[in-house]
Amino acid sequence: MAHSTASSSAPAHLQHHFVDSDQQFESSKMGMWIFLVTEILFFGGLFAAYIVYRAWYPDLYVQASTQLDTFWGAVNTAVLIGSSLTVAMAIRSAQLNQIKGLIINLYITIGLAFTFMVIKYFEYVHKFEKGIFPGQYYTYEGIAHEKANIFFSIYYMMTGLHGLHVIIGIGLMIWLLVKAKKGAFSAEYYTPVEITGLYWHLVDVIWIFLFPLLYLID
Amino acid sequence: METSALKRLQVQRFKPEENPEIHYLNSERGLWSWLSTVDHKRIGLMYLASIAIFFFIGGVLALVLRTELLSPAQSFLDADVYNQVFTLHGAIMIFFFLVPSVPAALGNFILPIQLGAKDVAFPRLNLASFYIYTIGTVFTLVAIITGAVDTGWTFYTPYSTETGTNVLLMTLGIFILGFSSILTGVNFIVTIHKMRAPGMTWSKLPLNVWSLYATSIIQVLATPVLAITLLLLVMERALGIGIFDPALGGDPVLFQHFFWFYSHPAVYIMIVPGFGVISEVISTFSRKHIFGYWAIALSSLAIAFIGFLVWGHHMFTAGQSSLASMVFSFLTFLVGIPTGIKIFNWLATMYKGSIDLKAPMLYAMVFLFLFTIGGFTGIMLGALSVDIHLHDTYFVVAHFHYVMMGGMVMALLAGLHYWWPKMFGKMYSEVYARISCALIFIGFNLAFLPQFVMGAQGMPRRYFNYIDQFQPFHQLSTMGAYIMGVGFVIMFFYLLHSLVRGEKAASNPWGSRALEWQTTSPAAPHNFEHTPVVIHGPYDYHKPMSEFQLGIAHGHHGESHQPETLETVAETGTRP
Amino acid sequence: MSGHHISSAKFLWGIGFALFVLTFITVAVTWMHIPAPWNVVVAIGLAAIKATIVAAFFMNLYWDSKYNLMLLVMSFVFFFLMIGITLLDTLFRNDPVPAF
Ligand SMILES: [Cu+2]
Repeated sequence: MAHSTASSSAPAHLQHHFVDSDQQFESSKMGMWIFLVTEILFFGGLFAAYIVYRAWYPDLYVQASTQLDTFWGAVNTAVLIGSSLTVAMAIRSAQLNQIKGLIINLYITIGLAFTFMVIKYFEYVHKFEKGIFPGQYYTYEGIAHEKANIFFSIYYMMTGLHGLHVIIGIGLMIWLLVKAKKGAFSAEYYTPVEITGLYWHLVDVIWIFLFPLLYLID
Repeated sequence: METSALKRLQVQRFKPEENPEIHYLNSERGLWSWLSTVDHKRIGLMYLASIAIFFFIGGVLALVLRTELLSPAQSFLDADVYNQVFTLHGAIMIFFFLVPSVPAALGNFILPIQLGAKDVAFPRLNLASFYIYTIGTVFTLVAIITGAVDTGWTFYTPYSTETGTNVLLMTLGIFILGFSSILTGVNFIVTIHKMRAPGMTWSKLPLNVWSLYATSIIQVLATPVLAITLLLLVMERALGIGIFDPALGGDPVLFQHFFWFYSHPAVYIMIVPGFGVISEVISTFSRKHIFGYWAIALSSLAIAFIGFLVWGHHMFTAGQSSLASMVFSFLTFLVGIPTGIKIFNWLATMYKGSIDLKAPMLYAMVFLFLFTIGGFTGIMLGALSVDIHLHDTYFVVAHFHYVMMGGMVMALLAGLHYWWPKMFGKMYSEVYARISCALIFIGFNLAFLPQFVMGAQGMPRRYFNYIDQFQPFHQLSTMGAYIMGVGFVIMFFYLLHSLVRGEKAASNPWGSRALEWQTTSPAAPHNFEHTPVVIHGPYDYHKPMSEFQLGIAHGHHGESHQPETLETVAETGTRP
Repeated sequence: MSGHHISSAKFLWGIGFALFVLTFITVAVTWMHIPAPWNVVVAIGLAAIKATIVAAFFMNLYWDSKYNLMLLVMSFVFFFLMIGITLLDTLFRNDPVPAF
């Protein structure tokens, strides 16, 4: 893959088919934004299912959400917002050529993402113990609504897919960390940090909507 | 943001070299150089080969179906096998052939050249999306071999969650294909925005690029919904989540909403890029400026948008509320407006043009004829009351074959014959091309016109046997299918002959003004040996050819890439 | 270029703090038991404000090319089209889930 360039003036990160670094940076960022559009519509399908069923069975949602722990949901919201902040700080560090700050912020972000997953894990286990499984495996009898299994199918799909995105995000952060330690990033070139950051913020935004929709139906 | 400052560029004329010694096909050699290539032209050809294989498989399956239908009673397929064969025919033709056909195969090859770019914005992502496509096909092929699927290509629940066949692997395969489609869309949108040559403003974009832009938008907006739908279906089978399963309290009609939110726009993923090809071909072979440039360009975007509002016309008899049916029926009629705008602009382009009926133009004519029939019958089906009668009959089958095969496949063939010299640097036999075009046209109408009649008389689709009264129609239809088959076999051989011993093609065999014809045939490894500079639109036939071959001598970096408004000093000298 | 906006650390911390406060408010309003449907409106409204803040100042859309902003807006427009038109069916059926 002949991506190195023959021209002497061009920086090493610049691929041959771009004219300059700005064009390359702007292209990557636009590409990421378009990808985020697909993510929004991907989750959009689940939100649509959520809304359709909520419009049909408002009682179901009120009853079923009592099984979700608002406290831990709020903690997880704070954790993800915190990680968004550290990602923003990581990008800032890269822009200012502070590679050490970049690495530290990436470490904190990964730590917060793990915290989120651990809390999510305990929430899941707690429900499984009660027999709250998705769909046909649902055995819990504490909710007096015949469609309770449907609510939890939607709950597991939404939080499960969101969790999957968090895990993918952790993978991306680790990859950034490895590259940062090798000195791949600088104030001139930090595109991967920037666009991974965009992805991470979107994961945060999706959770910002999931939290009131699932946990805060009083 | 684009700068509006006028910039003076010193340009010179670059006449494309004839019979170049080094081009993209021979600049690197060996199988590995193909499998690891990031060159959009080679990736385009690899897609082309893949879709050709799947078109062949899907076509053979179609002939098998038609052969079974020669006689009213069962002949050699039993009901279950028949169900599997039509499911495979539909799924392969739609997901493996039509969706990637013009965007991924022709589009990949031609889009960056038409923009004057060296490559798409993300070449490695482009290669990755080809391999994702390959992985998706492997999943599906495994699904076919280990127990075919019998749900129809629509995978309607609850049958698809209950049938014992291999729905899981098949839907996973199509889920993966969706990623490939999304990545191609992302790549094209960014390429069109960021990679245009100096002077290539939005008002000078070839209409093919506008079409690919509209298509990419649909791919990006619709495909994720298919992904989540199929994922929910997979989960339905694997975990019994029940969102679509009435036995568990779910709603199967919701599945149809989600499915058609993708699949109706998806028919525009399949047809809109065809519109682009037709615009190019009609202008080139009429030797005339395209009539209504902006009308054609913007109607593509209008179709893309309206296409998202009409999906419920597939569900008129599925139990959706009558309010929704009425709204969907009304919105469906709106699609006719931008489509009609296109047809009339193409006709106006040909009016008083010097029309040259070469093979690509012949296919474009066939397209106009067949697609118009397909479009009008679509309006009929969109009418609520008529659809109640025609729903799930052969009328629907005939309608979408007129649109998909009569529209998109003809546009693909027009494009293939149009850009063939640019792809391989060889010409094909014009005589055989015309014979095969005629056979396909006759065969197609023979195959599908009778289906309108028997559909209106009540012959339901997806049945392997039928009452005697329909036999003459089915026999005509089968005959037509065979004639089409012969047409495609002839095409295969003359194209093969062209590859092996075809005449060398000139750099611009059609005398087009478009940018892709101002480079060598086959194209240079990086499309152009210089940085092209554009001062006229691609359809300005009233301007001399020399003003379309301008550029700045090559340097890897350092030129301005932003399309400025140019004040060009055209220096028509010789090559340096 | 517009894409290289650098925010000050103080500013980013301020945004983070605002988001924490809004999260607290989101939880706190549920203690007031606002009657339906206004509880949903308030909850989604607050979430939308938070999401806008993240998009504008963490994702830098405030300083970025307008096209990227349009992309985000369009994705929500199309989501609303999807759910809006689907509701035309599901809300106006005789039976919520027809018996099969
Ligand atoms: Cu449709």
